Amino acid sequence: MEGKEQSKKKESWYWNWLIGSVALRVILVYFSNNLNLASRPEISTPLTSLRRLAEGYWLKQSSMSPYAGSMYHGSPLLLSLLGPLTAKRIEGQPDHILCSLVFVIADVVSAMFIRATGRNLQIAYSQSLKFLDLVKLSEKSDILPSGDIAALVYLWNPFTIVACVGLSTSPVENLAIILSLYGACRRIAPLAAFGWVMATHLSLYPVILIIPMILLLGYGPDTPPRKLFLQKKYVEVGDTPSNDRCLQEEAVDQPELPYVFSWRPVIHFLFWTSLWLVYVLVLCGVSVKQYGGLWELFKRTYGFMLTVQDLSPNMGVLWYFFAEVFDFFRNFFLIVFHGNILFMILPLAIRLKHRPFFLAFVYIVISSMLKSYPSVGDSALYLGLLGLFVNELADMKFSFFLFCGYIGVSLLSPVMHNLWIWRGTGNANFYFATAMAYACLQIILVVESVSAMLNHDRKLRKLSATKVLDGKT
Amino acid sequence: MGDSESESEAPKVKLRPIVRLGMFLISHSHLLSVVCCTAGVLTLLLLPLLAKNTYISENALMPGSANPMLSSQEVSEANGLVKDLTNLDLKPMASGIESQRLIAQYMSNLGAEVSFQKFYPQSNQFHPLHFFSSPDSATIRENISCSSFGLNTVGIIRAPRGDGKEAIVLVTPYNSEKIGLGEALSLGIAYSVFSLLTRVTWLAKDIIWVVADSKYGEYAAVDAWLRDYYIPVFSGLGTQYAEMCHGLEENTITERNMRDGFKRAGTMAAALVIKVVDRSEQFEDSLSIYAEASNGQMPNLDLINIVNYLAVHRQGLRIKVEKMWSLLNCKWLMILGEILESLGHLAKSLNPQWKFGIPAADYVEGTATLASSLYYQALGIPTGPHGAFRDYQVDAITLEISSRVSSNNKGRQNDFLLRGGRLIEGVIRSVNNLLEKFHQSFFLYLLTSPSKFLSVGVYMIAFALLVASLPMVAASLYAHANNLDPSFEKNKSNHPASAANELGITLRSWKWLYAAKKVLVVHLWGAVVLLLPYFICQIPNCTPTTSFVVWVLLSIFSLLILFWILGSPFYYVNASQPQQREWALLKSVTISAAFIGLCLMSVINFATAEIGALLMVPMCLMAHPLKLDVKSRKLRKFSRVACNLALGFIGFPPTAFLVFKGVFEGFDGISVSDFWNWLESIWAWSSATYLYIGMIHLPCWILCIHVILHPC
Repeated sequence: MEGKEQSKKKESWYWNWLIGSVALRVILVYFSNNLNLASRPEISTPLTSLRRLAEGYWLKQSSMSPYAGSMYHGSPLLLSLLGPLTAKRIEGQPDHILCSLVFVIADVVSAMFIRATGRNLQIAYSQSLKFLDLVKLSEKSDILPSGDIAALVYLWNPFTIVACVGLSTSPVENLAIILSLYGACRRIAPLAAFGWVMATHLSLYPVILIIPMILLLGYGPDTPPRKLFLQKKYVEVGDTPSNDRCLQEEAVDQPELPYVFSWRPVIHFLFWTSLWLVYVLVLCGVSVKQYGGLWELFKRTYGFMLTVQDLSPNMGVLWYFFAEVFDFFRNFFLIVFHGNILFMILPLAIRLKHRPFFLAFVYIVISSMLKSYPSVGDSALYLGLLGLFVNELADMKFSFFLFCGYIGVSLLSPVMHNLWIWRGTGNANFYFATAMAYACLQIILVVESVSAMLNHDRKLRKLSATKVLDGKT
Repeated sequence: MGDSESESEAPKVKLRPIVRLGMFLISHSHLLSVVCCTAGVLTLLLLPLLAKNTYISENALMPGSANPMLSSQEVSEANGLVKDLTNLDLKPMASGIESQRLIAQYMSNLGAEVSFQKFYPQSNQFHPLHFFSSPDSATIRENISCSSFGLNTVGIIRAPRGDGKEAIVLVTPYNSEKIGLGEALSLGIAYSVFSLLTRVTWLAKDIIWVVADSKYGEYAAVDAWLRDYYIPVFSGLGTQYAEMCHGLEENTITERNMRDGFKRAGTMAAALVIKVVDRSEQFEDSLSIYAEASNGQMPNLDLINIVNYLAVHRQGLRIKVEKMWSLLNCKWLMILGEILESLGHLAKSLNPQWKFGIPAADYVEGTATLASSLYYQALGIPTGPHGAFRDYQVDAITLEISSRVSSNNKGRQNDFLLRGGRLIEGVIRSVNNLLEKFHQSFFLYLLTSPSKFLSVGVYMIAFALLVASLPMVAASLYAHANNLDPSFEKNKSNHPASAANELGITLRSWKWLYAAKKVLVVHLWGAVVLLLPYFICQIPNCTPTTSFVVWVLLSIFSLLILFWILGSPFYYVNASQPQQREWALLKSVTISAAFIGLCLMSVINFATAEIGALLMVPMCLMAHPLKLDVKSRKLRKFSRVACNLALGFIGFPPTAFLVFKGVFEGFDGISVSDFWNWLESIWAWSSATYLYIGMIHLPCWILCIHVILHPC
């Protein structure tokens, strides 16, 4: 009874905070003209800027190619979805208020999906702990509802708020990624496939998420290493007659044991992926038919991302480098920089294959660190997802340092930009220094979170080993 | 900050060097922080010694390479203007617009393009939101009364060899309602140069002469002109005001000229503001240079160098920059200077190569100049109309020439006009040679004398040393607060299998979140406090003292409300946990916040950060709960208590301000209203110092006081 009341209280607490975040967003949207966030290079990149999208829409309306000039580089589907909204003005309200409201809704929906995913992950986690007989630990995991925490971290993260209010399309991109992860977690193949295809279509980099998604669909959500289960099973089979309870438990848990790779959802997923892919391509093809066709589209969107044509300053490290590099080395370094992301995929996939969702998180951090036009919206996504692992990463190192670093860099970056662009007393190095500090912070975050996760696995193994020994004696 | 945490893990394994270095720093943080702080203060005192001589960095400038062409012919023409202006002033019924018309007449006689610019004075307003954006045309224009307007007269010479893309600006502010002799003379100097420049063949940049109507303040006039120059109003506001205020003006020549539109030349390479003040108490003509613009921005050092070079080596004027006069008679500074001088002699006798000693008098003078340089940069208020140019990235300085000229001494006046004119001519000729905008020399520097400067690389050392102790102490406090948990050590010795104890550990590394929440709440409160004066100003008939009192009361009230709303869960959560180390975590987070804030401020306005660090760093480092100190009855602890109380007293912004004011200007007649007035001035100029006081200094002070009074 008491527990129920407490959970109800928690529920209302969650909803209060959610409504609070929406209210804050709406207030900020109302003052968006004063805040002038849309012109910040940290928030709106050439790919996510709504101003560029409006320009593309205008070009399209005057029956020119939306990719004419070098203004718009996003998806044609987004153009036809958000474009009409950018053209609509309400008297007395800030410009683009309808788009801002769409972004607010996208954020809220993302948060809800994160919460649902978190619950799913938490159930899987406590189930596997129960199976390993580490019930005390699993009791503790009920104390921290990781889904709620992650959703609130996502909603109240200043980065998310700023990206949402600052008229960038990253809330929509993040929603697509979260949708795909949710679908994979729940093993809903069509949804997962849709999310993945949309995310890839919108921002290309989520293409690498196909590996964790296949693992998720095949193995199910994150669990401790498979070896533990095998060990446990072996021990239990060894002394089944002595313990009746174990047998029972085994019988209950047996069908859910996650160490078999089931191909069925994966095949489903691949089927649906191809279906959605064809669908999206056809839609795109129709919408850009008279402007040079699909090839032109790919060149103007993905080509623009991969060849780093726009060297205007942003939070990433690529613009500075490619502004400096000689033209004849350019192609080589383009390959090196993008290869950087690809190099890390396989080793990480092997090491973290038992935790596919965490693997997806790591991939997202790495790609948002090394992508060509990063923005705070990308950081918002991975910081939100970080909250999902609050139980596993509870003793992560350098948490305070990272916190201070993120605050410091996000305050210093606009100041350095002001010093360089408006006051003229600084130069590009000032701003790039903050970009490098930011990249370093992200590296530390990845390294520390992965090592904390592996430590957590180690701890579980140690605990279960002592359990097994206790059981034997 | 977190380096320490590796300590807990596997002590037998050989650690990486960087971790060992971090551990070393943390374990010796007390000693190191004391050393760093003292070194920081000492370096600050040594700065006048480290100043380098200025040099002209841009080769293209070539100051003084050509002979001045200004002759007595131009001077006599200028004399005519001066006489006409002073006569105009003597006439009782002269209308306001008469002098502008006269000057315009003189200008157009020279063949320059003349235009007028009408502007409406507007009060300075504080826009915290506009701090990081460009100067904005959409600034709120309120309270414009049509009857009060100023009229700037602008004359432009098109360069025979230029393409009209670049320009040099001369500004002479004068009060159109009452023209003093000094103002007339400054107009005379500018006019003599202007008339010369219409004839020369070497001019490659257009010359703009702005005769700013300083009826409503010099800055406002120049700022209004610049805003119109850079941010043209195509429709809407401009016509709206024209219509609004139509009917008040007679249809005169000026009116027709105004309709001709606003005349422009190219981008500005540099701007010179010329002022003449009459100081009869001085024996020789001297030149004061004012350079500080808003938020401690300075013009390129090369501009000051040219003026300095030409004035000293060509025209024989004495150059002055602002000094803190009260420091000149300081006993201890004199003693310090003498010690340093003798040290310099000693070093020289040991090795003739070492030359770092400067005479004690020079040292004191340098310190006084440096102090005033720091003070004016820290205030963030421009020291003259040149400040308006800096907002548009134009390098500008104010030249204030003081003379002993009286109107009846004709010869002396001619000589004065000749020298001033030649100086301006030389500077313009140098700037005219520029191929690009000023970029060679320094933008970030402090002056210790007109010909000595400290670059950013040198003065940053003092600040860095002062601030370096903050992250070290924060890390060590954090590490201790985490490692000294009693449950932790038990855990290691007992059997590690018990999951309940594991729970304690796992939450340990996120315990700082509560402290961070508290710090965040207090910083939010700082933002609220910053916004309060905006509302208090709306109250009519408020004396500064009552405003200040209202402000303080409202601040305390809002602090209580914030703690009631947001802060209460803090106590609730922590009641179950041991509070022993809670203050250490809080102090650690406070110090980190102070560190981030100071570093941020040092980028925005170095001088503010330096002065703030001097006040804040010792306070943050010393803060220790009184209760713990009083319990153990030792002399050392009591001295710490005394230190804490003293630093806490001096760290409070109003008391710090009043104490400093008292020290420099004498304690009589000081009241809290001074602080309010001072704050209002930096608030009106939207100085970043105001943001610093509210968002960084005050919250850190509150948190330090909280740590000192912590019930542990």
